[in-house]
Amino acid sequence: MAEEPVFNRIAVLRADRGVSRRDLAAALGVHYQTVGYLERGEYSPSLHLALRIAEFFEVPVEVVFSLKPFPKLGSTS
Amino acid sequence: MNWGERWHAHVARSMEHPMFVPLYRTRARRRLLVAMGATGLLVMWADAIVSWCIAPSDMAVTVNFVLLAVALVCYLPAVTALNAATRGLASLPEHRLDERQVTERLRAYTVANTLMRLILTVVTALVLAAMWGDGPAARVPGAAVALGLISVWLTHYLLPLLVAGWRLPDPPPDDDDPDDEQ
Repeated sequence: MAEEPVFNRIAVLRADRGVSRRDLAAALGVHYQTVGYLERGEYSPSLHLALRIAEFFEVPVEVVFSLKPFPKLGSTS
Repeated sequence: MNWGERWHAHVARSMEHPMFVPLYRTRARRRLLVAMGATGLLVMWADAIVSWCIAPSDMAVTVNFVLLAVALVCYLPAVTALNAATRGLASLPEHRLDERQVTERLRAYTVANTLMRLILTVVTALVLAAMWGDGPAARVPGAAVALGLISVWLTHYLLPLLVAGWRLPDPPPDDDDPDDEQ
């Protein structure tokens, strides 16, 4: 079964909040490389991990994850 | 924390050691390590075949020791570096891995299981073919049986790590390590 891509804004949120990969990984209880793979879209998290990431950034889960690409900064759409 | 947990914590920390990073930084290097580990396994299988052909004899003992030494020289560095590259994906207990690592481990086990089934099929066919002509009088030297069993065990043990090392994508750069940002 081909894996459907899940897009995310973890890198943007992390940069915005000034959180390092290691700090985010420690807060989530995952390996720091897993955060990197998530940011690169090479790993789609479980629902549980996705909810915990959203909880960490204190935003709704759909702000962090989407089935469609997020619009680029400055684009009108 | 019991001794087992302490040992696993020590192993997990060792795998983060930057000393190993140059060995597995690129996919080509990781695949070279996998080839090295596979060579170690092939030498073990060759050792079993040689024992079948020439044991028991002084020559067989000498050849055994030389081939075992060659297998160890290939096996030890390859397994150490691949374990570090995969961060213990195939060797640490599941509760020490996160969900991505557990998923990768299951994928590696699945592929390794298929490969092992193929290997066992080929080995069984070859052994039966080699013994076919002698019928019930066929004899196999004990050294060949022992080395064959060790080779089967080692192949079964090592295949998940080799598969995981082969499949491993380039790790994302570590934002605390300026070398990795390049």
